[in-house]
Amino acid sequence: MVILVGKVSKGTLMDQIYIPKERPLGFEIGTHVIIKPTFEEEEIKPVYCNIDKLESVKVMVMQKIFSELDFADNIIITGSFLEKGFQFNDIDVILIDGRKIDSNKIELNLGRLLGLEFHITVLDYPSLLKGLETDPLYQAMLSRYIAKKRIIMKYKNEINYKVLDLHLLKSKPLMENFDYLTGNQKYGMTRNLIAIFLFLNNRKVSNEAINNEIKKLLKEETENIKQNVINKAIFLKEYKGLYNKIFSRILDGVKNGSE
Amino acid sequence: MEVNRKKLINLFIENISNAILHRILEKAVEDDVIRRYYDKEFLNSFEIAKKYREKINPVDDKLPDSSEIKGIIIKRVNNELKIRISKGYKNIDLSLVESAANTILSELKIN
Repeated sequence: MVILVGKVSKGTLMDQIYIPKERPLGFEIGTHVIIKPTFEEEEIKPVYCNIDKLESVKVMVMQKIFSELDFADNIIITGSFLEKGFQFNDIDVILIDGRKIDSNKIELNLGRLLGLEFHITVLDYPSLLKGLETDPLYQAMLSRYIAKKRIIMKYKNEINYKVLDLHLLKSKPLMENFDYLTGNQKYGMTRNLIAIFLFLNNRKVSNEAINNEIKKLLKEETENIKQNVINKAIFLKEYKGLYNKIFSRILDGVKNGSE
Repeated sequence: MEVNRKKLINLFIENISNAILHRILEKAVEDDVIRRYYDKEFLNSFEIAKKYREKINPVDDKLPDSSEIKGIIIKRVNNELKIRISKGYKNIDLSLVESAANTILSELKIN
C-alpha cells in the first residue's frame, strides 16, 4: 500500500494537509483516507539470536512481517530465510499466541503483500516449550532466530521415544523417493535425521552441528545435498545404515520405557 | 524424469502408507500438548503422495485398481504397526487403519 506523508498546516477556518497534485493511484479526489501521526508507529527493535548479518532487503521484509503480525504476543522468524543469500523457499514464522489464529489466512495475506511464500506455525508458549523439549528439529530451528521479544527458553530435553519415532518418519521418504526429490527436500529429511541422532546422544542440536555431522556421518557436503548433486551410492548406503540404527534405538527405547 | 504408471503407484503407496502410519502413531502419543503440536506434521509424506497422485491417470476419477491399492496400503501400515507393537508400543489401534486409509484415499480420489 502506498503511503503519503504530509504536514498539518494552519488554515483560516480549518487546518489542512497538502498532498501533491501528481500522486500515486488510490488518492483520487473524493477518496477516503486515514490520517494518523507518524510518531505513533512504534519502532520494533527485534532480538537477534546467533545472526551476524542480515541483508538489508531481508531486514525490510522482516520489519513488514513484524508490523503486519503485531497483534501476536511474540513473532519468531527462523529457518533458511536467515541464511546468507536468497536460496530460501519460504519464510518460517512462528507466532506465539494463546488465541486461535488461522495460519492459512496469514500465509495467504503475507504472500499477497510481499510476494513470498510463508510457513506460519501458531503455538502457545507451553506448546513451544514442549516442542523444544521433545523435538530436535525445533531446537535446531530455534538455535538461530529473530524475534519481536526475547524468548525465555527454559527447558530440559525429554526423550520421548514415541515422539522421536514420529519425527523419524519424516526422514523415511528419502530412501524410497531419492530420484524424485528436490535437493531442498533431501536436505530437510537429512537434517531431521541428523537432528534426531544428536538429540538421542544428548548433544547440542544447532544448524552448525547438523551440517558438521552430515559431512562426518553421511560423507556428503550440505551444499551438494541442497544442489541435488549427491554421490547416490555412498550417500544412500550411509543414510539407510544410520536410519536403521536410529530406528532400532528408538524401538528399544519404547520397549524399555521413556528416559 | 519419466516414470511409468506402475512405478508411480508404488511411490504413491509408499508415501501414503507413511502418512497413514503417522496418523495412527500420532494417536498413540499420550500427551495432549504434543498431539496438538503435531497437527501439520504428517503432511510431508502426504504432500509427496499427492504429487504422485496428480500424475496417475485417471486424475479426476476413481482408479480402476483402487481396491488392490487400498489392500496393499493397509497391509503395509499394519506390518509397520505390528513391528512396533511387538516392541512394546501401547495405545496402537489397528482398527483405525482401514478408516484412515478410506478417508485419505477418498480425499485423493483413489476410491
